[in-house]
Amino acid sequence: MTASNANIRCCRVILLLLAGCAFLAFLMSRPAYAADEGGEMDAVAHTADGVYLDFAPFGTVELPRIFLRKEPWGLDVFASTRSTLLSERYVIEHEENGHAEVLHGEALHAAIEHHEHLYAKPQPVLGTMVLDLSITRHLVFGILAALITVAIFVTLARRYRRPEGRVSAPRGIFQNMFEALVVFVRDEIAKPCVGPKYQQFMPFLLTAFMFILCCNLMGLVPYAGAATSNISVTLTLAAFSFVVGQRKGSRAYWKHMFWPPGVPLPVKCLLAPIELVSLFAKHFALALRLFANMMSGSLLILSLIGIIFTINVLFGSLTATAVAPVGVAFTLFISFIKIAVAFIHAFVFTLLSAIFFGMAVEEHHEDETHAEEQPALAG
Amino acid sequence: MDATALAYLAAGIGAGLVAIGAGIGLGHIAGPAMEGSARQPEVAGHIRLTMIIAAALLEGVALFGMIICLLLSFK
Repeated sequence: MTASNANIRCCRVILLLLAGCAFLAFLMSRPAYAADEGGEMDAVAHTADGVYLDFAPFGTVELPRIFLRKEPWGLDVFASTRSTLLSERYVIEHEENGHAEVLHGEALHAAIEHHEHLYAKPQPVLGTMVLDLSITRHLVFGILAALITVAIFVTLARRYRRPEGRVSAPRGIFQNMFEALVVFVRDEIAKPCVGPKYQQFMPFLLTAFMFILCCNLMGLVPYAGAATSNISVTLTLAAFSFVVGQRKGSRAYWKHMFWPPGVPLPVKCLLAPIELVSLFAKHFALALRLFANMMSGSLLILSLIGIIFTINVLFGSLTATAVAPVGVAFTLFISFIKIAVAFIHAFVFTLLSAIFFGMAVEEHHEDETHAEEQPALAG
Repeated sequence: MDATALAYLAAGIGAGLVAIGAGIGLGHIAGPAMEGSARQPEVAGHIRLTMIIAAALLEGVALFGMIICLLLSFK
């Protein structure tokens, strides 16, 4: 009886998956017609940042634009790119055959109609642009991820303060799930990598882990995007990890960096710059790794979907229709891999941060080895 | 061939080389790690941890290469 129930449930899941595939294929067939009619699909724009939320086929939502300009100095805030341009205080240029012309009146309305204004860079009529502080898609989803992280942890902390879970076993799915995550970060990341002083880094490691995980998983939600597929976000995260680590750097750590004991003077002069570069390179690599991994996942999916259109152009629509299920199946497969990648890279970022913290706070026990070397140098 | 075509060619060849390098490197990491954890299952956890760290570092280098290929093909 239970076995047949399980079978029915399994069938339902498979049916649901198939229906999902069919729906995906339906959604994808729409831009295919656009491509047939000579319209262009800007593939990279969908993985890159943008000043709008794309809810195709239901439309787009434009995000507020904020500009800082000088001569005269001023901060302009608009509700959307559309209102920015319609106010006529900012203009966009349309480039054709090498010479640019400013869009006005009818041409501007046509550009807005075709959503071209979302890709153009508005320039102020008065003065020059200093900073474009516009709210972008990645910022929206990054803030959303941060809010989710805060909501989860505040609720969880309140639970433990009660003290549910501290004196008794944790109760319910929510608490059990996140306690497992917290314990994982503590026992698998902080304790082995940082060492005995792991306690002071736990807040940062937990926050980083949860925030990155939320961002990464948000990249798998339809219509949403991963804030971590933006290099500014990952560089900021790495900068925080850098500051948190260096602030707690022990005396031995700094000494080993700029004045490594037991090394001849010329080599010391050579080593110090190398160490200094590696100090920054480590964290730069940390940022780039997370960024490239999140970016490459969505680029891979785009390439797989792009194969269908390439084949459509090269071999006609019949072959493209035959290839489409394969492309969608591969996309599904890559999406499963992306779930794994979302967890692995949240883990890797936290782990490597913890290792760098561990290097910084480590008290050196190698005095014995140096003690052997130093008399030799003195002699 | 003009400069753009050469850039695309370089990006393609570079991506292939990056894949070869990363594949060899990951093989060198994963193979012995698997052997080690099969021989001594009690330390499999530690081996997995260090394997992931090493793989992540290697992947970072591979991704540097990939980003340069992307820049070549987009710019």
